[in-house]
Amino acid sequence: MIELRGASLVYQDHGRQIHACREINLTLQPGEFLGILGPSGSGKSSLLYLMSGLKQPTGGAVEYEGKSLPGMTHSERSRLRLQDFGFVFQYPYLVGYLSALENVLSAAPQRDAQSEAEDLLNRLGLGDYGRRRPHELSGGQRQRVCVARALVGGRKVVFADEPTASLDHDSGLEVMRLLREERRDGALVMVTHDPTMLAGADRIIRIESGEIADPDWRASDGPTSSEGPAKTEIPR
Amino acid sequence: MKRNAAKTGPLAGVIVLAVTLIVSIVALMNSIPLSVKEIFGYTKQFTGLTPRGNASIVDALEKTAREEAPKPLDRLIRARASNAEVQSLVGPWPFAVYGMKQDDMRWFVERMKGRLEGRWPEPGKPEAVVSEPVARNLGLKMGDSILGPDDSDRFSPQEVKIVGMVQGAEWMILTDIDYHSANHFPPVDGLMLFAGSAEDQAALDAWAEERFKGEPVRVFAWPLLEEETDAMFRHLYRILNVVIATLVIVITIMMAMLMNIHQAQRTQEFGLLQAIGYERSRLVRRILGEISIVVIGGWLLGAALAYGFMRLVKAQYMDPQAFSLNPVDPVAYLYTIPVPIVIFAAALITVLRRFAESDPVAIVERRLA
Repeated sequence: MIELRGASLVYQDHGRQIHACREINLTLQPGEFLGILGPSGSGKSSLLYLMSGLKQPTGGAVEYEGKSLPGMTHSERSRLRLQDFGFVFQYPYLVGYLSALENVLSAAPQRDAQSEAEDLLNRLGLGDYGRRRPHELSGGQRQRVCVARALVGGRKVVFADEPTASLDHDSGLEVMRLLREERRDGALVMVTHDPTMLAGADRIIRIESGEIADPDWRASDGPTSSEGPAKTEIPR
Repeated sequence: MKRNAAKTGPLAGVIVLAVTLIVSIVALMNSIPLSVKEIFGYTKQFTGLTPRGNASIVDALEKTAREEAPKPLDRLIRARASNAEVQSLVGPWPFAVYGMKQDDMRWFVERMKGRLEGRWPEPGKPEAVVSEPVARNLGLKMGDSILGPDDSDRFSPQEVKIVGMVQGAEWMILTDIDYHSANHFPPVDGLMLFAGSAEDQAALDAWAEERFKGEPVRVFAWPLLEEETDAMFRHLYRILNVVIATLVIVITIMMAMLMNIHQAQRTQEFGLLQAIGYERSRLVRRILGEISIVVIGGWLLGAALAYGFMRLVKAQYMDPQAFSLNPVDPVAYLYTIPVPIVIFAAALITVLRRFAESDPVAIVERRLA
């Protein structure tokens, strides 16, 4: 579905070359839940941006359903993100002057998504909050609205970049449960530094210094340095 | 945009106030020359000729006028004129008191489309007929003195009472020519030449101006009055233009800063929407659409508010003193046109610059908001 072949991302930061991703080879299968684990600054978010077309590789290839993402125009990539991809970011960004329901609808690729959006909010436990504005919602509720926004319209891939980082542990687990359960047939790419949030992942890769340090983290021996709890602690 | 009224409202409000302010300043400034022209509007009806330095040439002057006028004269009135004063927005303003025979006075008032209430001044008596705008301007009514020995602005050796009030738009103070000749300076007869139509009157004005150039004759004609009035206020308008230009620049800079702050506050929104797949061009179009509505709506509301305000000023302050004010003065509204245009341009530059520099990933990743 998404294939990276030797994909690299290098950028300049105050005159210094930063290798955010180094020759990554990775394939995402349809419906797969892929966890990307790694410490802060390891390049896991950059990898997510490469996979979703938000950043273009400086080397190698990134393809979505056989089409080169860098080869697409800016508009084509935008349309692709709006139609096929859903996003949940670390901070529960919502448009402040829109209600929860309107925020969900703002990402719906089709016009008649009202009932689907309401249904999603219901399933996410926000049935009574659809008319509320973001400032009237808690952090956890806002992130659940973001989840609904990422799922509305039946996305082929949902990208989640540390979606639980700004939430308490229980709220984070709840958001993850909703993402897993409500994504239907869509693939899920989840970036986190907290392995406990990757319960139910089909595959977890570990990134370090912009490289895939471990292509199947659960299959390898023992926890590595900074990921926190041992792999056996991950609820399955 | 409606949902974002807390932010767009103040922006529109600034434009509303700016437009109201500019219209008010220009319309009130324009009311001064407008009042002057309205006070002397009666001069559209005739061409005035007055001897200068030698009063005895008036007969020759009359003969020249009758024989050489390019258009047939509807009437020629021999009258006396002296100075009085009426009130204007810029203080006392000189105004002529005409002394005429009663039949000339009747004809003159009829020509001005006036309707007399009361009676005409009796020959030789200190009596006057004034038009309603003059009475309103000076706060006088029937029976009051229009001229008098104790009034330095409107002097006459005797109390000249108002015995007739002319209902009509033109300003006039008419006294009997015998009383006027016996009591008022200068002792010079003047000629009032009336043509049959407005076009003929204009031709007569042009002829008189050309015919008596370099001669000891003073020509009074509407085009000359207009020219003199415009020249009189030219400097004032230059100052006004500087004031308005400064105002427009200040408001525009202020609005551009407000727009910048407004757009900066929406950085997160635009970054987020771009990240989830909104095309940049779609967002730019949307923002420019919103700005257009704010700017055009603000201008329309400002124009409406200014109109309402000018109507109020006219009704409460100007009309009671017979001062002129045009609430739909086109020049006043034209002065406001740069405001929405320049603000839109400033907003356009701000938005395009922001979008050119913005990186949606940086916004959603680094929490730039």
